[in-house]
Amino acid sequence: MSALDTPAGLDVPRHHAFSRFCRAFAKRPAGLAGLGLLVAFGVLALAAPLFIGDDQLNVIKVDGPQLSPPVDGYPLGTDQAGRSVLLLVIWGARESLSIGLIATALTVVLGSTVGLLAGHYQGWIGKILMHVTDWFIALPSLPLAISLSAVLGQGAASITIAIAVTSWTATARLVRAQTLSVEARPFIERAKVLGAGNTQIMIRHVLPNVMPLILVSSTLTVASAILSEATLTFLGLGDPTSVTWGSMLQAAFLGGAVTAGAWWYLMPPGIAILIVVLGFTLVGRAVEHVLNPRMVGR
Amino acid sequence: MGTSNSRRGRSALAACALSGTLLAGVTLPAGTATATASSSGSAAAASAPSGQGETTLRVKMSGSGVDTLNPFLAFFDGAYDVFAGVYPTLNSLDEQGSPGPYLAESWTQSDDKLTWTFTLRDGLKWSDGTPITAEDAAWTLNLIMTDAVAGTANGSLVSNFESVTAPDATTLVIKTKEPQANVTYVSVPRSGIPIVPKHIWESQAKNLKDYKNDTFPLVGYGPWTLTDYKPEQYAKFDANKDFVLGKPGFGHMVQQSFKSVDAAVAALRSGQLDYINNVNPTQFKALQADKNLLTIQEVGNGWTGLEINYNARTRTGKKIGTGHPALGDPVVRHAIALATDRKTLVAKVRDGLAVPGAGYLPPAWPQWTWKPAPGEETPFDLDQANKILDDAGYTKGGDGVRVDPKSGKPLELRLGIHADDTDDAGISNYLKGWLETVGIKLKIQTLSMSALNSDLAKGDWDLLMDGWTTGPDPTFLLGIQTCAALPKDDGTAGNTDSFFCDEKYDELFKKQLTTFDQAERAKIVGEMQSILYKADVNQMHFNHNMLDVARTDTVTGIVTGQPDAQGMYPAQSYSFWGYLKATPAAAEATAAKEESGGGSALWIGGAVLLLVLVGGGIALKRRSSADDRE
Repeated sequence: MSALDTPAGLDVPRHHAFSRFCRAFAKRPAGLAGLGLLVAFGVLALAAPLFIGDDQLNVIKVDGPQLSPPVDGYPLGTDQAGRSVLLLVIWGARESLSIGLIATALTVVLGSTVGLLAGHYQGWIGKILMHVTDWFIALPSLPLAISLSAVLGQGAASITIAIAVTSWTATARLVRAQTLSVEARPFIERAKVLGAGNTQIMIRHVLPNVMPLILVSSTLTVASAILSEATLTFLGLGDPTSVTWGSMLQAAFLGGAVTAGAWWYLMPPGIAILIVVLGFTLVGRAVEHVLNPRMVGR
Repeated sequence: MGTSNSRRGRSALAACALSGTLLAGVTLPAGTATATASSSGSAAAASAPSGQGETTLRVKMSGSGVDTLNPFLAFFDGAYDVFAGVYPTLNSLDEQGSPGPYLAESWTQSDDKLTWTFTLRDGLKWSDGTPITAEDAAWTLNLIMTDAVAGTANGSLVSNFESVTAPDATTLVIKTKEPQANVTYVSVPRSGIPIVPKHIWESQAKNLKDYKNDTFPLVGYGPWTLTDYKPEQYAKFDANKDFVLGKPGFGHMVQQSFKSVDAAVAALRSGQLDYINNVNPTQFKALQADKNLLTIQEVGNGWTGLEINYNARTRTGKKIGTGHPALGDPVVRHAIALATDRKTLVAKVRDGLAVPGAGYLPPAWPQWTWKPAPGEETPFDLDQANKILDDAGYTKGGDGVRVDPKSGKPLELRLGIHADDTDDAGISNYLKGWLETVGIKLKIQTLSMSALNSDLAKGDWDLLMDGWTTGPDPTFLLGIQTCAALPKDDGTAGNTDSFFCDEKYDELFKKQLTTFDQAERAKIVGEMQSILYKADVNQMHFNHNMLDVARTDTVTGIVTGQPDAQGMYPAQSYSFWGYLKATPAAAEATAAKEESGGGSALWIGGAVLLLVLVGGGIALKRRSSADDRE
C-alpha cells in the first residue's frame, strides 16, 4: 500500500466510471423512459402526505358518493366507502413501493452474502450454503410465502420478510457464479500472495467486481417483489385497513366490483402495478446492457 | 325460511355442543298444539308445463358447500340444502315458520304435555319402493338418542326425549323428559332431523362415522332424488313426481358449486344459472338494472355484530385466555358501543340494505323482536364516549391511546375478523377510525374460520366480528349466551359466543322454556334481550337483508311469500319450498339477452390483468435470461 493509494485517489476513477455509466445509460431511451416512470411515481409517493390527508383516506371522515364512476372532484371515481380512487392509488404507491424496495434490499443482502460466502469458501461451507439455496429453489415460492405470512401474522413486515425469504436464491446463485469467475482472475492470486485475508479479498476485491451484477439483479428483483406484494395482499395476507394496490384489488374483487362493472375501481391499481413493474424492468435491462461488457452493442 | 341456526361458515358446528337441557320446552302459538293436515295437494305447484321432464333448475350451491352426505354428521349449509330435498321430515314449516304436515298428517299432545303422538301418512314409499313407516322415524330418532356418533349433528335436538316408539306403521309416540312444546320443530326440512330409511341404514349403523352415503341414486324421499354428486362441483337431482306436498315444477335440478359469487353472477347473467341465494349489495344493485333478472330482498334472519371478551372463563369460574382486562369494565364496553355508528355501517358497508341492530333476535321473526325503550338506546356519541372514559380515569398517553388505570396497560385491542368476509373488512375500517377518536387503538387480525374458532374457545381474543342466523325457534340462539354454554375446564363442550354468563338471564332462559303463552314468552325473551343489550358484550351492528337473484326468463315461482309495503319478502325457504314450487318460465319470455354493462369493463379488466401478467412474465423472463448468460 503506497501513500498514493489514498481514498481521494481512488475516487477519481470511480467518479469517471459513474459518469461513463450515466452517459451510456442516457443513450438507452427505454431505460430513460423507465427511469422517468419510476421518478414520477417516486415523487408522487413521497409527496403524497403533502396533499392527501386523513380526511381523504379515513373512511369515517370521507363523504364522497359510494362506488361512483369518475365525476367532478373524483377523476378516477370512488370506492365503496366514498374515497377517491385516484388518491388511494397514489397513497397505495407508498406502501407498495416501500415493501418492494425493502424486500429487495433484504433479498440482495441475504442473497449476496450467501453467494459471496459460497463462492469464496468452496469447501464444506460453500456446499452447505448451496444445498440450502437449492432447497429453497425447490420450494414453491407462493405457498411458502403464504404460509410464512400466515405464521408471522398479518401486515407489511411479514409480507416483506416472506418475499425476501422466497426470492433471495436467484441472487445467491448469480453472485456465487460471478464470485467464482472473479476469484479465478490473476489479481486475486496476487492479493493472496501479498497476504490479503479472506475478508479483505471478499470485501475489497470480489465485492466491487460483483456489485454491478447485484445492481442489475436487484433492479429486476424490485419488479417481482412488487408483484409478489400485490399477490399476497390480494390473497388477504395484508393489513385490511392499510391502503396498497393489492389490498385495493382485493377489496374491489371481494366487494363485487366485477359484477358492478366498476372498472374505475379495478383498473387503476392494476395499471399502477403494471407501470411500476414495467419501469423497473426497463431500467434493469438498460443497466444490464451498460454494465455487462458482453452485452455491449447488442 | 333460513331455519338453520348457523354461524357464518361456522355453520351449525356449535349445535353439537349444545348442552342437554336447552330445548326443554317451547311453546307454540295458542291453538296449534293440535294441528291437522289440510288437503295434501294444497301446497302443490300449479300444473307444470308439459314436457317438464326435460327441464332443469340450475341453482348456486350454498357457499359453504357440502361437507358430507351423511346426515348424521353434516354441519354445512350446502349439505342441509341437499337433505331438505332428498330426505323427509315429520313436519314442514310454512311461510310464517309454523310447523305443518309432511310425513306426519296430524299430531296431538297429552294433557301432561309429556307425550306427543304423531299420525303418519299411509302409502308413502322410499325411492326404492319400500314403504315408509313410523318404524323408520323411530329408528332414526332412537339412533341419534343412543349413539354418540349418530348424534354428532343433531343430538342436541333430541336431548330432552325420553323415548320414541312406533306402536304401528302409522303411529309415532315421542315421550319427553320435561314438557317441550317445540317437538314439532325437531324434524323439519333443513334445520331439523332428516328421517332416513331404516332398511338401508341399519347395516351402516356400526360404522356410521366412515359411511359416506354416496351410492347413487340415493334412497330417500322428498321432492327430489339425488342422482349424482361431485364434491366442489355439483349435486344433481331428479324430481319426485309423486311427492306428497306437490310435484316439483322442474324435471331435474342441479346445484352447482362456485368459488366466487362474481363467477356465479356471470353464469346467471349469461343464462347458465337460474337462481342465486345471497349476493352482496354491490352485486345486487348492479343486477337490479338487468331486465332478465328478478332481484328480491328478504327480511334479515340473522345479525352481524361485535363480540367482546369481557371475562373469559370456564364453567367452574377458572379464568382462561388473554383478553384485555379493561374489557371487564362496563364503561369501556359502553364507550365502544357509543362510538359505533350503526346507521353509517348500514349505509356504507351494506349499501343501505340492512336494518341497524339493537335486539339480539333478527327482524325475520317479528314475534320475538325487541327494541330498547325510548331513552334507553345507545346513541352514536363520540363526545360522550370520551367523557365516560375520562371520568373513569382512562387518561390518554402521549400517543393518544388511553391507559387502563388498573392494569397500566394501554387500550390496544385486537379485533379478529373473518378472512373472506367483506362486511367484516368494511366494518373493521370504521370501528378502527371511531375508536381511535376515543383513544382506543385497534389491531385488526384477519383470521380463517378455524383459527377464529380455536381462538374463541381459548379466550385468546379481545374483540371479534361475528354473525348468526336463526330459524323461527329462538331457543338455540338464546342458549349460546347462557352459563351452560361456557367451556368445561378441559376446554371442551363450550359453544359460548362471548363467555356471557348472567344469573338473571339464565333464570329467564329457563322460564321462557316452560312458558306456554306466546305473548308472555315473548315478553320474557324481550327481557333477556334487554339484559344482553345493556351488558354491551354482544353489540349488534345490523341485520342485513338477504339478497336473492333469479332469472325471469327461465324460472318463476322460486320466491315464496308476498312482499310487504317496503318490498321486503319474508325469509325464504328456498331449499325446500322455493325449489319445489319453481316452474319453468313460459318460453315466449325469453327476451334477447343483452350484454350487460359489466361486460365491457370485464374485458378491459381482463386485458389489464393480462398486461400485468405479461409484464411480470417479461421481468422474470428477462431476469432468467440474464442469469443464463452468466
